[in-house]
Amino acid sequence: MLDFQHDILPLKNIIFRTALRIVLNREEAEDIVQDILVKMWEQRNELEKVNNLEVYALRAARNLAIDRMEKMDNRHVSLNSNVHDRPDSETAGGDALLAKKEADFFIADTINALPEKQRTILQMRDIEGKSYKEIAEVLSITESDVKVSLFRARNELKEKIIEKKQLFL
Amino acid sequence: MDYKYIEQLLESYFDCRTTLQEEQILRSFFSQEDVPGHLAEYADLFNYEVEAREEVLDEQFDERVLAQIKQSDKPKARSIRMRTRHFAPFFKAAAVVAIVLTIGNAAEHAIGEHAAEEDNVMAIDPYTKASDVQQVIRVKDMSKQAKTQTKNDSIIGITTQDERQ
Repeated sequence: MLDFQHDILPLKNIIFRTALRIVLNREEAEDIVQDILVKMWEQRNELEKVNNLEVYALRAARNLAIDRMEKMDNRHVSLNSNVHDRPDSETAGGDALLAKKEADFFIADTINALPEKQRTILQMRDIEGKSYKEIAEVLSITESDVKVSLFRARNELKEKIIEKKQLFL
Repeated sequence: MDYKYIEQLLESYFDCRTTLQEEQILRSFFSQEDVPGHLAEYADLFNYEVEAREEVLDEQFDERVLAQIKQSDKPKARSIRMRTRHFAPFFKAAAVVAIVLTIGNAAEHAIGEHAAEEDNVMAIDPYTKASDVQQVIRVKDMSKQAKTQTKNDSIIGITTQDERQ
């Protein structure tokens, strides 16, 4: 028998981060987590047969997030700009903490500008540490396909990082 | 110090040939204070990735979802959540349309009446029969009514087949 607090609720954070990376909006992402957890609870009898609950949850969450993403306006909002103020780029160099925040925004913005498939795969591999096999299952694609998208995502980041460095030379 | 190993790992990383363990080694390396100059820019990337994993939901979330679970467990009561914030843009747009049409309608009435007065004057000449003038005025009134009718329909947004007939 599946127990909500023991088996389903613990998935909340990885579902949240995955949904957040797709919809780029905290409120929206929280709604999605809630919807998925409740739905899983309501289907707990069928879920007994599922061997990897996390993969199941992430697949459902991603599909729901993509739906919501397409219904929202096409805004590229940085994850962090929902919560913090953006530092003034002129003063960023003078204060170590500001410089750190500015670097975070830069990376976040670059990731969030990637197409959904690439940034979801990057999220699952580089941030959540999932195997190619698991990622392939969540996205319903081949491992080879996962690697291709991951390659593109990582190298786009590399390019932007090098570009940024050259601007300061 | 020789950073050859890290540089090789980095190259492998961007070629997607690293294992999860090797990627963890890269993250650990870049999390330290003294990262050599020529590799420093990659520190931002790996450190961001570590921090991004620390995004979590709080207890208030737990409370909300547990409350909803209890609701859905009740035998008949299924809560239908209408998230009004999602409908807000729709209501706003509908309000704007209603205002624009109301103003447009009012303006047309003002212009329409003015024009009608002129037409009535022009329609009545010595050679026009009285009955013809009556006919013209009646047609104008009908067309004005018809316009008002369709405007009201579009604010509501529904025109049934019966109404059309």
